[in-house]
Amino acid sequence: MTASDLVALSPLILLSATALVVMLSIAIRRHHGASATLALLGLAASFASLRWAASVTPRQVTGLLLIDGYTLFYWGVLLALAAAVVLLAYSYLEHQTGHQEEFYCLMLLATAGGLVLVASSHMASLFLGFEILSVSLYALIAYLHLQRLPLEAGVKYLVLAATSSAFLLFGMALLYSETGSMQLATLARFYMGAPNAALGAAGWAGTVLMLTGIGFKLAVVPFHLWTPDVYQGAPLPTTALVATISKGSVFALLLRWFHPAGSLAGTPVWWAFVIMAAASMLAGNLLALRQNNVKRLLAYSSIAHMGYLMVAFVAAGPLAVQAATYYLLAYVITILGAFGIMSVLCSGEEECCELEDYRGLFWQRPVLAAMFSAMLLSLAGIPLTAGFLGKFYVMAAGASSALWLLLFVLVASSTIGLYYYLRVLVVLFSSLPEDHVKVMLPRGRVPAGAGFSLAVLVILLFVFGLYPAPLWDLIRGISAGIG
Amino acid sequence: MQLWPFVVYCALVGGLIAAMLGLSYVLGQRHQDRATGAPYESGIVSEGSARVRFSAKFYLVAVFFVIFDLEAVFVYAWAVAVREAGWPGYIELITFVLILGATLAYLWRVGALDWRSVPQGRKAR
Amino acid sequence: MILLWLIAILILAGVLAAVAGRFNAAAPRVISLAALVLDLALCLGLWGRGLSSASRWSEELSWTWVPQLGIHFHLALDGLGLVLILLTMFLGIMAVLASWNGIQRSPGFFHFNVMWVLAGVTGVFLAVDLFLFYFFWELMLVPMYFLIAIWGYQRRIYAAVKFFLFTQISSLLMLIAMIVLVILHQRTAGFYSFDLQDLLATPLAPDMEMLLALGFLAAFAVKLPAFPFHTWLPDAHAEAPTAGSVILAGLLLKTGAFGMLRFVLPLFPHAVQRLAPLMMTLAVLGILYGAILAFAQNDLKRMVAYTSVSHMGFVLLGIFALNPIALQGVVVQMVSHGISTGALFVLAGALNERLHSRELRDMGGLWETMPMLSGVGLFFVMASAGMPGLGDFVGEFMVLLGTYQATPVLSALAALGMITGACYALRLAQKTFLGPNVHHSDFPDARWNERAIAVPMMVCLLWIGLYPQPLLNMIRPAIDNMPRQAVTARR
Repeated sequence: MTASDLVALSPLILLSATALVVMLSIAIRRHHGASATLALLGLAASFASLRWAASVTPRQVTGLLLIDGYTLFYWGVLLALAAAVVLLAYSYLEHQTGHQEEFYCLMLLATAGGLVLVASSHMASLFLGFEILSVSLYALIAYLHLQRLPLEAGVKYLVLAATSSAFLLFGMALLYSETGSMQLATLARFYMGAPNAALGAAGWAGTVLMLTGIGFKLAVVPFHLWTPDVYQGAPLPTTALVATISKGSVFALLLRWFHPAGSLAGTPVWWAFVIMAAASMLAGNLLALRQNNVKRLLAYSSIAHMGYLMVAFVAAGPLAVQAATYYLLAYVITILGAFGIMSVLCSGEEECCELEDYRGLFWQRPVLAAMFSAMLLSLAGIPLTAGFLGKFYVMAAGASSALWLLLFVLVASSTIGLYYYLRVLVVLFSSLPEDHVKVMLPRGRVPAGAGFSLAVLVILLFVFGLYPAPLWDLIRGISAGIG
Repeated sequence: MQLWPFVVYCALVGGLIAAMLGLSYVLGQRHQDRATGAPYESGIVSEGSARVRFSAKFYLVAVFFVIFDLEAVFVYAWAVAVREAGWPGYIELITFVLILGATLAYLWRVGALDWRSVPQGRKAR
Repeated sequence: MILLWLIAILILAGVLAAVAGRFNAAAPRVISLAALVLDLALCLGLWGRGLSSASRWSEELSWTWVPQLGIHFHLALDGLGLVLILLTMFLGIMAVLASWNGIQRSPGFFHFNVMWVLAGVTGVFLAVDLFLFYFFWELMLVPMYFLIAIWGYQRRIYAAVKFFLFTQISSLLMLIAMIVLVILHQRTAGFYSFDLQDLLATPLAPDMEMLLALGFLAAFAVKLPAFPFHTWLPDAHAEAPTAGSVILAGLLLKTGAFGMLRFVLPLFPHAVQRLAPLMMTLAVLGILYGAILAFAQNDLKRMVAYTSVSHMGFVLLGIFALNPIALQGVVVQMVSHGISTGALFVLAGALNERLHSRELRDMGGLWETMPMLSGVGLFFVMASAGMPGLGDFVGEFMVLLGTYQATPVLSALAALGMITGACYALRLAQKTFLGPNVHHSDFPDARWNERAIAVPMMVCLLWIGLYPQPLLNMIRPAIDNMPRQAVTARR
């Protein structure tokens, strides 16, 4: 390991160090604001060091981590998301009883896990990242362990995530026994049917097991069953974390893994992804139709969105990686904004996530309701918002690979999806019930930090929806190396 | 590979267990009196329930032990390769131990190592 | 640049109205009205300057937007676009006037939505970049949804959701067709472009051309609406507030026809030839079916809505007759239908404000107490029935004339539509204005804003009906320019 390796790793090292510092600061003296500030500072330092790291990339660090433009881009995204979650979590946790400070420590660790995942080029680092992320999430989901739902969600996630990790591990073992390599790039070559590289039964079994593990984290059908319960039970900042950092980093890993050189089209693995994509789009949107809890609804919609994302993923060609990255970015911004607004609206210990809680929100809190509507419209893929351009690029990528069936499913299911987004919109804008007693946060009291991050998210939503050219160039630059 | 010592060993273990259980079954007396089912057959009537709740602290301490003990394994792994790892390895190990130390400090400060069971104490008061 | 201003003024006025609405209830109305009048003046200025005969577009603006995919912010104006944006601003003013008193709830947000719908419609009429077109196409959807869902009548939620879903699924099909077209163009030409002019040259296999044409037609046929895709229309029209109905019937339906004229005909000339018999049959079915259903309605707004189905059948018929005279008739029909149906919806809104009912059985004998409103109503009912001397007649007559050149049979059948039109129009007039005043209704006659709406609309219809030449002059170059490919393909 050389000095430049350390420079390349500096964002990761700084982030991990921050987690440690936050933990020590708790040991010295508990203070909510101090912990949050430290976490933010650490994230900022880590983000700033990306530039420094960029001076020595692309670089393979110790056979485990590959740090190139793609990695640094996703690191930047993950760090920014984490910072937004810190801001939102601060105002949310203020209302909660019990210790608040450990949340930041765990959250930073989860982010570090995501960073490792994005950079990993080896099964060992993949598994490490996977576990750091999962173990932190166990605790984060059950963070409000004195309430029933978070505890239940935490236990569910613990059992299922541990099972999926076991699947992943077993799959890795089988694949290693077959191929004799733990490098992801080598494995990908096997799937593409390169000469002298055919997988036997054990290899395919291992592949299926690994896909199970990864599919679980992405929550694609048929590995989606945990999503609604965990989304509903987890505290809102954690839900935001699961929806953005956890899924985003796993997807980034997948994207790099299967797109190092050319396309998979036609291979069994490809078909598996196609089927998962179609099933996720349909099942996610259909199941979301009858939900009356906004968190559950967004959980099912996230399943569908992972399906859309997979359409871009299975498409070949230069557009695919770019479209998938753009869509992912648009999606995480949107969903973080949606959960952020919900967490700002929850003023007491109880979360108000039932659809009925939002009735007539527009007439009470017009700005927040308008922001929420923008987020919903972006999820539905309506122009002006980043979600539309994301969907547009996904369609373009799909069409350039002639994935007609998937595109048709996409159109049909996003129309179904539109229905439930409209349902929420209708509730937001409908008139207040006569006996309206539920008091949302009184006017003008959005905490500064949360307000700031929401404002930034909304601005990004529109900027990426209206003027995508600079971002698109950036994405094209970073994906050139892998796509 | 020589498997037979292992097989014999397993057979011996199985045989011993079977002998112990079987002999006590054959030789032991059995009776079905009023106090047979009671926890202590010493003539003293038992008080309260047998299902006593122990504080989870014990569990926690056990977990800490496992964690810190397992982490120590890494030190052994390093010790085997100490010359090959050189100074960078040494620095990495120091970092690792420092992190462990910081964790211990944290656990100590938040009271996780506190032997007393706070909830029970509160109940007593 | 002026084209951008046309849109920007509306968008800015919408934002301004929303902000001003928080302080003063009257301010949004004034702001919207001022913005629309300004826009109308700009459009009239464009008209007065005359259309350039040298180039296809008399006004153009092109900025790079997403260079990586060849997407441009490309607006352009020709005679067809000019006619329709004039109609947009005109009906926009009427819509704002019509809701001057009726909208009490959150007028700021209401006018925000009205302005943004109009901005979207204007954008649709001006965009010549496919992506930009789709962008505006969707942009007009969301505010319209809010207009129906918040300020509509009893079953507004159902109607709004139905409207949104119908439009959305069809426009997603169009989006896919657009993307495929662009990708095919990229394969042959080597670069991405969403520009209409570039895409016109794309060579297409006949089957692919047919599929793409169907993708585009899906969106336009739903919006138009063509016969089997019309079911969203009565609900949306009937449940929308007056301004919403006026904009829906007057403008949104026209965007469907406009899309066919601007994109489908030039881009897919061969497919259009093959589809023409089918589409014309559907059009005739729509004309007759809409008329029959209109005759059977008891709800005033639903009745007017079904007459739209019938009238838009003429538009569809004319488009697929594929000859210049029919196409000119189509544009005339679009304008005059926009005005006459818009006026009927204003009338229905005015009656509803007074009677609190849209049922025909609650009306009758209104002439007794409201002679002015009833007289005006009769005028527009007659216009809608295609009375000679008024705008609709000119349009329908030209369409029938053009269609006769293509298929005499369908032309004859479509002509029946004018008879059925008279049937429902007479029934409408009979049940509302004429007859005995059985309910002893006694309501105030036309208010100032209703007069301000009715007079210019009557003037316009009379003008189109009696002297349509200026209008035809305006459209003529655009028509000559546009379907050349389609027409040459047939020869």
